[in-house]
Amino acid sequence: MGLAVLLAACGNSGSGTPAPSTGAPIIFGAAVSLTGSQSKEGGLTKQGYDLWLDWINQRGGILVNNAKHPVQIIYEDDQSNANLSATLVEKLITVEKAQFILGPYGSSATASDAIVVEKDGIPMVESNGAAQSIFSHGYKYTFGVLSPANKYLTGVLDMAATLSPKPTTIAMLAANDNFSLEVAKAVADYAPSKGMQIVFNKSYPAAAPDVSGLISQAKAANPDIVMNSGHLAESIAINKAAKQLGLNAKIFAYSVGPSTPDFISALGADANYVYDGSQWTPQVKYRPSFYLSVADYVKAYQKKYNSTEPPDYHVAESTAGCLAFEKAIENAGSLDPSKVRDALAALDVMTFFGEIKFDSRGINIYKPMVVEQIQSGTHYTVFPAAVANGQPQYPTPTWSSR
Amino acid sequence: MSQFAQQVVLGLLLGGIYVAVALGFSLVWGILNIVNLAHGALVIVGAYITWDLFTRLHVDPFLSLPVDALTLFVIGYALQRGVINRVIRAPLFFTFLLTFGINLVIVSLLLLIFTADFRSVTPSYSGTGLHLGSVIIPYIRLGGLAVALAMAGVLWAILNRTRIGAAILAVGADRDAAQLVGVDLRHIYALTFAIGAAFAGVAGGIISTFQSITPTAGDPYTLQAFAVVILGGLGRVSATIAGGLAFGLIEVLGQSAPGLGSGFANAIAFVVLVLVLVIRPRGLLGRLA
Repeated sequence: MGLAVLLAACGNSGSGTPAPSTGAPIIFGAAVSLTGSQSKEGGLTKQGYDLWLDWINQRGGILVNNAKHPVQIIYEDDQSNANLSATLVEKLITVEKAQFILGPYGSSATASDAIVVEKDGIPMVESNGAAQSIFSHGYKYTFGVLSPANKYLTGVLDMAATLSPKPTTIAMLAANDNFSLEVAKAVADYAPSKGMQIVFNKSYPAAAPDVSGLISQAKAANPDIVMNSGHLAESIAINKAAKQLGLNAKIFAYSVGPSTPDFISALGADANYVYDGSQWTPQVKYRPSFYLSVADYVKAYQKKYNSTEPPDYHVAESTAGCLAFEKAIENAGSLDPSKVRDALAALDVMTFFGEIKFDSRGINIYKPMVVEQIQSGTHYTVFPAAVANGQPQYPTPTWSSR
Repeated sequence: MSQFAQQVVLGLLLGGIYVAVALGFSLVWGILNIVNLAHGALVIVGAYITWDLFTRLHVDPFLSLPVDALTLFVIGYALQRGVINRVIRAPLFFTFLLTFGINLVIVSLLLLIFTADFRSVTPSYSGTGLHLGSVIIPYIRLGGLAVALAMAGVLWAILNRTRIGAAILAVGADRDAAQLVGVDLRHIYALTFAIGAAFAGVAGGIISTFQSITPTAGDPYTLQAFAVVILGGLGRVSATIAGGLAFGLIEVLGQSAPGLGSGFANAIAFVVLVLVLVIRPRGLLGRLA
């Protein structure tokens, strides 16, 4: 009650009556990539944020101490430049007076933003930086809703171990950025426990336009599994080069790329049989305690963005970041940054995206990754069996017999 | 051994792409003394034209190359005559700023028109190749190399066998003297830039067949064209061919250097570049200034 008086004294119109009043807008800041090499992924991030923004404002805003606070998100464009991202977050906090920060796209930008929010004591929930290295500095104000990088492709190995004939050799390609190298290292560490060995392991410069030299070397190692840990452009280039150079593997699995519609539209039938580790798919069977069900989320996305495609996981995880903030602010009953921070640390909710709960570092290790496969131009969730809506098509036929 | 042969073949094929990209860049730099930072963006405009014709009208990517050339020729002519010509005699710094700005404008326009979605041209024969023993030569890449060499031949013929070419070379050698003997400077400037842009467009058409394209995909190609021209030398078509093929070979062989991740490929390529600059400042085949 004392707090409500205090809020009223601060210029809010909270009146203390049971019916929720309207509070001052809550300002979120987000520096996402709207131009530059990651503008596609940055755009998906923004879609996820905006989807929640519409929903929460239709309901009058976030409920804090019986006052509904409408939400504003102020966007800045980091031009796909991680260093610029940190500058923009500083600007969002100091100039635009953002009370909370929604994360940028990509691990590099997230890592540099984490330093800024820590210094300023402003909570950040990030949805698109999966590198665990972001969380290895003991930061208190950064939380990630997505499964960490080390889980991205290990699910594919779990699945591969169940298949017959069992694949045993892996060629691992990785882009030279901290997220991709972490994914690759996790695969190298995990493979022996599944009776598989890495026969080829090389990194390449991020956004390399030509990977044919690398693919011809991988081919010489004759691997059962070809894995790429990189981004959309490289996964398309690798798949093209594999076909051109006749690199036949039983499993092609790429960390990022195949889940987006672009991968299928760019490659056509050549996209078939490709696996990816996904944070989320539209087929998962979670039972959320608030916000939308998985099916309603897909519908809301298709309506807002006038699309026939379901949202890909970048959109979903971005929305999930907003949901974490919404619940934490409600639970904190306050807009004080340190109280919201504590509420985030204590959060444990089930959403359409899966469970959101953070370990002591701020990583959501409680939500599993799923494995998807593209079959006849459509995404199917094929692993784990509990959430799957399809069977893996295995082994991948040779290029010449497709 | 066959692995090495395969790497050499792939290096030469990649080099062919670099030749295609660098021809127009080298011409504009050599004649107009403009380091065109928007060159990569023009390349991607060509790539989008090929993509658009392929997806909408199912035109084979190689058949759309003349359309790329013609469209970019017109754009290039207008761009030079309307904008770049205003700083043609200004210090190099101004042309840097201007072409940098043009690059941003083109990239942003592409982003507006085509969005940031990844586009790719995948004709039915895109995965097939010529098998020579264990060495595979993808047809589409071979076609790219052939087009690049044909482009080089066309450029050489224009410069050395036509009156326009003579005028272009004359302007490159001494613009004031060329004007004195009746060369229409403004027209030749615009024409040179237009030819450079047309060649960029053709290079883009080839690139769309093996790489996914986005509005920003051209940026690395500006850098690569710059490196190729430095490596090969300025002022000769043969120098661009030598520079492009050498750069492609170095990159691919650098990737397969034992013990090193191919993350070092770029570093190796640029170390070679620096060495060439130290030992032979005019490039492999460049003319003495």
